Amino acid sequence: MEQLVILLLVLPLLAGLVNHLFSKSLGYRSATLSVYGAVITFAVAVYLLLEVLVEERSATVQFGDGWGIVLGDPLSSLMALLITGISLIVRIYSVKYMIEEEGYGRFFMLLDFMTASLLLMVTAGDLITLVIAWHLVGVVLYFLLGFDTRSAVASRYALWTLVTYRIGDLALVVAAVLLYHAYGTWSLSEIFTHVTENPGEHIYFGMALEEAVGLLLALAAFARSAQLFLHTWLPYTMDGPSPVSALMHAGIVNAGGFLINRFAPIFVQTESVMHLLFVMGLVTAIIGSVLMLTQNDIKKALGYSTMGQMGFMIMECGVGAFSLAIYHLIAHGLFKGTLFLGAGSVINEARQHDGVPKQDLYTFVVERKSAKRNQPWLVMAGITLAVPIIILTMAHWLVAQDFFQKQGAIVLLFFGWITGAQLLFNTYRMDVQNVWRLVGMIIFSFALVIAGYVLISHAFDLFLYPDPAFRAEIYTAAHIDVFWFDLLVILTTAVIVAGWVLTYYSEQNRLKGEAHLNRLWLSFYAMVSREFYMTDIYAWLTRALLKVSARLNVLLRWR
Amino acid sequence: MSGILLLLAGLFLPLFPLSMVFNGLFGRMQNRTLRIALLLIWPQIGVALVVASGMDVPGWMLVWALLTAIFYGFRALVLREVSLWVSFIATSVWAVMWLVMDSQGAGWYELAKYALGFSLPLILLLLLSGELEQRFGAAYTGLYNGLAQPLPRLSWLIVMVVLAVIATPLFPAFSAVMAAMLNVAPDSFMMALMLSIAWFMWGWAGARLIQGLLIGKETGAIATQADISSGKAWIYAVVLVVMVLSGIYMIGGLA
Repeated sequence: MEQLVILLLVLPLLAGLVNHLFSKSLGYRSATLSVYGAVITFAVAVYLLLEVLVEERSATVQFGDGWGIVLGDPLSSLMALLITGISLIVRIYSVKYMIEEEGYGRFFMLLDFMTASLLLMVTAGDLITLVIAWHLVGVVLYFLLGFDTRSAVASRYALWTLVTYRIGDLALVVAAVLLYHAYGTWSLSEIFTHVTENPGEHIYFGMALEEAVGLLLALAAFARSAQLFLHTWLPYTMDGPSPVSALMHAGIVNAGGFLINRFAPIFVQTESVMHLLFVMGLVTAIIGSVLMLTQNDIKKALGYSTMGQMGFMIMECGVGAFSLAIYHLIAHGLFKGTLFLGAGSVINEARQHDGVPKQDLYTFVVERKSAKRNQPWLVMAGITLAVPIIILTMAHWLVAQDFFQKQGAIVLLFFGWITGAQLLFNTYRMDVQNVWRLVGMIIFSFALVIAGYVLISHAFDLFLYPDPAFRAEIYTAAHIDVFWFDLLVILTTAVIVAGWVLTYYSEQNRLKGEAHLNRLWLSFYAMVSREFYMTDIYAWLTRALLKVSARLNVLLRWR
Repeated sequence: MSGILLLLAGLFLPLFPLSMVFNGLFGRMQNRTLRIALLLIWPQIGVALVVASGMDVPGWMLVWALLTAIFYGFRALVLREVSLWVSFIATSVWAVMWLVMDSQGAGWYELAKYALGFSLPLILLLLLSGELEQRFGAAYTGLYNGLAQPLPRLSWLIVMVVLAVIATPLFPAFSAVMAAMLNVAPDSFMMALMLSIAWFMWGWAGARLIQGLLIGKETGAIATQADISSGKAWIYAVVLVVMVLSGIYMIGGLA
């Protein structure tokens, strides 16, 4: 198994080096080399995961003295499969997509180095290796995003990405240094053993080590996973090649979720960090989704959609559903990668045929034409509210009878219920031939999705965290006072129900809207469409800083 | 006497405003060989002085060093002349040497190695700026850009050397900054933050330098220039590989 871990890292690195050194003589064959390399790496990742699953043991390889440790454990093998799978698809797609681009060989070399860096990151078994890999991912991404060196725009946003990533990189460095200082080792497994045995033993920055490190790791995860205030680079990096966007949205931005899972033994010892993850994730999910809805550029909308999804992933970590976050990032990676790779064809199709075919869903959602005859209100309301909760409760009960004891599970249940209810609520007025058939299909799909997510996430839970006591500890760490929890649930429910009522009211009185309300709505829309002016503020701040720097230089005569 | 030596070291491991001496001197020297010698020797004198003083570096000097590192890193953001950029970044990274020297038991050899780790990539960048001057009359960002397509070998070298300067992992400067972080972060959040800001500034300034030189549409005059010879490029590449290997060796020293 140890050899597999080494192969996993060496293969893409070797492909990248050969591509770089012999780019001239290889010509277009550099793509073939890269694809074959990716196929073998993927096969190795599959084999490694099977070995970990079957043998139920982890592999550890150490290259340096006290550092250079790489792991083949459940988390790394799972992540390696995702990374190698997506990078293989991206490479195959790029063979033809990038054929007319200058620097064809360079592109594949960078993809190879990116894969190697990502694999090193997920297999890192010590802090130095992790810090190195974490940095390198940011650096290689900068060059991939700015691949078209003639495009000043692509380059500018690549710089934004680098600068934002740097914030997270440095937070990770400080976290690593504190852990080393406290325990005198870089090895993650040794650190986790110490932390588990003697929590709260060390104090740094006026707080327990676990709390300080947890906050720093959270910041690193926020920067990498585009959480609010550190997200502006994500929707703007669309000038890079589409395969890079696919790789970035499907694999790289997910690193925040991975990092939190990797440091789970530290997060379970924190008091407030999990709550911070929850709040930040929730706010990011909402803002990302709102911004997504106002974009008319498909790729930018996908960018904000990723932001929302990343928010949701971080929120899942915040409620203690660590393994669910891993399942989420894998599922999101696969569907978002597909969307990005398909975005070009959709845009091309829309440019050639701008007429939209008549379709029930389009008529209802975009043209906002609802059915002339509504179904009985009370029956539909009953179905809307009751069916999702029944399906969710049964699915959760199937895997854990005591799920009502876990606040995290309740929160996810709540969100699942809202989503299901929202779906049914939105469709009951749709103009379709057979509304009951539609409702039946929705309920069937919903049940399938919920059963799938509950069962798969439960399987992930057992695979990633086989110790039931540790699983319970994670949920306990996310626990908040029952009074505040209940208050939060009631408040959120009230806001959502108020939103539904408001939507219903405004739908009914669409033409009779009052002028000042319309103005308010337009102002809000303008603010959302300008992305809450966050990019403008950052750009203004940057310009101001550069101006100050220039003035200082003049004042001090460049000395 | 020891105190005077320490203060004198502030001239060679530049602390603002003493740093203006180095920058003034570097600016006046037009001879590249002398500049290289200055980059090589200047911080080593500082290291020798601190070691000779035998004193522990006081806390206020560490703060002073960090402020200097941030100050010059910040000022380097808008610099367009490559040699001036080298001079400012040298001032900024050498100031961080004060934090490395705070380490318990770090001997002269250890410190000299870290100082060399900071100086070497700066020397390479200065040499590469000579290549630019040879072709375009000046090494200046924004004056001409878009070098990446017509001069790929030179561009690749500039990128790698800038990455080495800004303490990207695996290069020796990374180990030096990590050593500095190990010394200050556990004791003071503010110092950890300040060092992080300085490191952040180097990255930002480095990326701006790369963009100013390599990105954009090349003009006709640039397209006609010859790239650096493959022989020369190989020499630079070998030096870079040696730097990476020594960087890996130095990371081992942290463990």
